[in-house]
Amino acid sequence: MATVPDRTPQAQEGAPRVVGFLCDWAVRSEGLLNADDTLVGMPHVTVIRVPCSGFVKPGWLELALRSGAAGAFVCGCPMGDCLNREGNWIMEDRIDQLRKRLSRQKVDPERVAFFAFGLHEREAFLRAVAEFVDRVRGSGGKR
Amino acid sequence: MYRRSLLSLQSATLRLDTWINRVLPQDFNPLYYTGGLANLFLTLLVVSGILIFLYYEPSLEGAYASVEFLTRDVPYGVVFRGIHRYAADAYLVAILLHLFRNWFTDRYREARDSQWLSGMFLLVVSGFAGFTGYLLVWDERSQLLASLTVQALRSVPLVGDWLARVFLGGPGVNDTTLPRFLFLHVGPAMTLYVLLWWHYVRLRHPKIWPPSVWVLFSLGLLFILASALPATSGRPAQPGASPEGFAVDWFFLWPYVLARWMAPGWALALVVALVASGMVVPYTLRETPEQRGVRALGQAVVVEENCTGCELCYYDCPYNAIYMVPSPYPGKSRAAANRKLLAVVVDSRCVECGICIGACPFEALELPRMLDKDVQQRIQRGARATAPVSS
Repeated sequence: MATVPDRTPQAQEGAPRVVGFLCDWAVRSEGLLNADDTLVGMPHVTVIRVPCSGFVKPGWLELALRSGAAGAFVCGCPMGDCLNREGNWIMEDRIDQLRKRLSRQKVDPERVAFFAFGLHEREAFLRAVAEFVDRVRGSGGKR
Repeated sequence: MYRRSLLSLQSATLRLDTWINRVLPQDFNPLYYTGGLANLFLTLLVVSGILIFLYYEPSLEGAYASVEFLTRDVPYGVVFRGIHRYAADAYLVAILLHLFRNWFTDRYREARDSQWLSGMFLLVVSGFAGFTGYLLVWDERSQLLASLTVQALRSVPLVGDWLARVFLGGPGVNDTTLPRFLFLHVGPAMTLYVLLWWHYVRLRHPKIWPPSVWVLFSLGLLFILASALPATSGRPAQPGASPEGFAVDWFFLWPYVLARWMAPGWALALVVALVASGMVVPYTLRETPEQRGVRALGQAVVVEENCTGCELCYYDCPYNAIYMVPSPYPGKSRAAANRKLLAVVVDSRCVECGICIGACPFEALELPRMLDKDVQQRIQRGARATAPVSS
């Protein structure tokens, strides 16, 4: 893994860093990620592929925010269609709880998000991520 | 070939979901609740079945008349009968959808084989109960189905005659035949609940009920169908009559439709062969994770020194793969020092999904090939990566 991520020309100036988790069974990941795990066309968004959205610890999302990311998200399969039956419901609950915890800590809870997109919904997923990035842009992620 | 067609079927199934999700909210997609819908229809079948049972008379002379009495003279009897009939169709459709969906979306093998096997038994027993339900009316259609069945059973080698005798309760149709049919209808229906226990035993929080919108919709649809198109009987069965053919619900009486073109014995053999090959479906594809296109991250491992016995992983594991056992000795971390319980992973049930890792706030569970510290490093790298150099 290169220590200095390669920068593509599309890199948006001043775009906030975002860390996301993507379920292996949700959006098809072929051709979705660059070699350094950033999203194609969005080099400021790092995506970590996980075996199920339920694998993600809420603590990891907090860690991302603490480490300087402006936002963190998890993308699982459509609600009701989790390969492991429960993962995305559980994750949605955990994110709800995390948001309450964040707002008690005076951190904008909108900086964490949960998405649910299936195998064929790459465009919708990318749109949702782009919207999320726009939303967290002003939320004071340290850079 | 088989693998490729399964993959394209999976793609098509999920494409269909995408379309449905455009019309309906995701969590109301009926295809996500095929099992729950089947259970709803089964419940309706039991309730309406009990009401019909109150009026049914299992005798050669009385059966047809008692069903007619229920339909004509009992208030709303025709509705109960219609609901029983159409709910049976809906039930069969729902479990077939359930079967194909879980097959095509890769939810039938490895740790989930016991659900597949119990499902096959459920399918067979349900189909059999549906078929014996047709016999109970004892009209010409019942007679035709019974005689085809007897022919099929007789053609079984060695035990054929005995099977036919067991089915009819004697060498031919006699006074004990209809009580026997009644038991062959109600008995399997009760067996379904034993099999459902097996179907659910490895699942935590099985989705056994659809969203209430679908409950109401299905109920309403059944009431409308039962009233608009009442279930009817054919002409009463006559000893010695040889009825020709009837419209039947082909999707679960198809062996009898086939019996029109082949000997009933062969139709029976075909059913047996289909069920037998269905039983081995979870074991046919022996693939490595690479061939399946998934990352094998290893089964979850409990980090004993950190486990506090809090049971969170135990509640979240969708496959009941985590058991809490009395802790043999205290853990090392401060939180774990006074634990009473210890989590244990049952390897044969673990599917490597990692949901328990997300549940654990004490770093007491790991997937061996995707460790917590590595994920943390990647998060920090992603979060801190330097901004594009513009100057």
